[in-house]
Amino acid sequence: MKFVDEFRDPELGRALSGEILSLVEPGRHYKLMEVCGGHTHSIYKYGVDDLLPANVELVHGPGCPVCVIPMGRVDDGIALAHEDGVIFTCFGDMMRVPGSQGSLLEAKAAGADIRMVYSPLDALRIAKQNPDREVIFFAIGFETTAPSTALTLKRARAEAVPNFSVMCSHVTIVPPLRALLESPDLRLDGFIGPGHVSTVVGARPFEFIPADYGKPIAIAGFEPLDILQAIVMILRQLADGRCEVENQYTRVVPYEGNLRALEVMAEVFELRPHFEWRGLGFISHSGLRLSEAYADLDAERRFDVPGVRVADPKACQCGEVLKGVIKPWECKVFGTACTPERPIGTCMVSSEGACAAYYNYGRFAREREVV
Amino acid sequence: MSAAPASVPTCGSQHCITCGDDGVPMTVVLIDQRRGLALCAAADGERTSVETALVEPVATGDLLLVHAGTAIGRL
Repeated sequence: MKFVDEFRDPELGRALSGEILSLVEPGRHYKLMEVCGGHTHSIYKYGVDDLLPANVELVHGPGCPVCVIPMGRVDDGIALAHEDGVIFTCFGDMMRVPGSQGSLLEAKAAGADIRMVYSPLDALRIAKQNPDREVIFFAIGFETTAPSTALTLKRARAEAVPNFSVMCSHVTIVPPLRALLESPDLRLDGFIGPGHVSTVVGARPFEFIPADYGKPIAIAGFEPLDILQAIVMILRQLADGRCEVENQYTRVVPYEGNLRALEVMAEVFELRPHFEWRGLGFISHSGLRLSEAYADLDAERRFDVPGVRVADPKACQCGEVLKGVIKPWECKVFGTACTPERPIGTCMVSSEGACAAYYNYGRFAREREVV
Repeated sequence: MSAAPASVPTCGSQHCITCGDDGVPMTVVLIDQRRGLALCAAADGERTSVETALVEPVATGDLLLVHAGTAIGRL
């Protein structure tokens, strides 16, 4: 398929791998963070890390929207799902995220009407088909997904659908990156920037990374050659002593982003003063809620939400994994007490989560190394 | 819960297309101007309604990048 096959070409992959080898200084260790969970997934799926020299290490960032949802937020969703007459809708992976008293999937098994949707539009359709029920959409995701929720809310308003509301848990990418860069226990040489978030926000919001922290960043697509080429771009910046925002994914990422998407988000959402991230704690201005103009469609205002903060499970080290301080397999419960079938932490839930991606694709290679 | 049943809902066998930072290239097949939607087909032939407000105007045959039922860019 066009835009796919040419980015999986093995010959070009080998050439890029050779270029990477020529750019690294022997004796220097390079630590690059892939911000986006989609990249983590691609890296393990295609074995991109196997094409890198031993001194180029990829660290997984906080870019999986499922992985960053704290337990208290899941509990809030479950409480809403148990309200009389409510149909609670969410994306598939969100259903398996453990709250303090179980997951949405277990709440569904216990009788709550919880339905998986592929898009917020599906949730709106369910609302129109069930006018005697209240339909709530549990909105998660970074700026890639937020415009979809915003457009659905505008559509709900335009079509006067009274029984539809949104529990908004959308988050923004820049504040957690800044928090990571401020973290004293983290040493990074550069960033592989998120591709589809940048389709919406553009390349401009990442300028603070070279400007304030002196680190290079290359925004990358999700095919294996995209990721390899982004690594070449970062290593070349390091070799030349430069640091700037480079855009590897020019086929869909305009420098200014999608202005219509930014406009609709500005109309429908406003920044929360702070939002809790799993493993990272509270980060200022990092979450979105519905603006005053859309307050009547805000499920958190329409219903009573417990809003109780729940500490992350002690055994779980998702926080350190999200910060790139430890690798998934270094977590005490990885692959034993915590598996994709019975996750303790959210990084093991979503296929974009670093632990699940590693469990599904990477662990066999490591087992070979150990043997 | 002992283990998740085989029918555990996920967005796909390899990837969660909606909650990850994922985009699917889809071709516009049919346009519903009045509702601001387009019927789009993925490479595997699967068809779905897509919100096109962020990339309008669209024409039949256009290749769009679709995330969570919304076209967020063009290819």
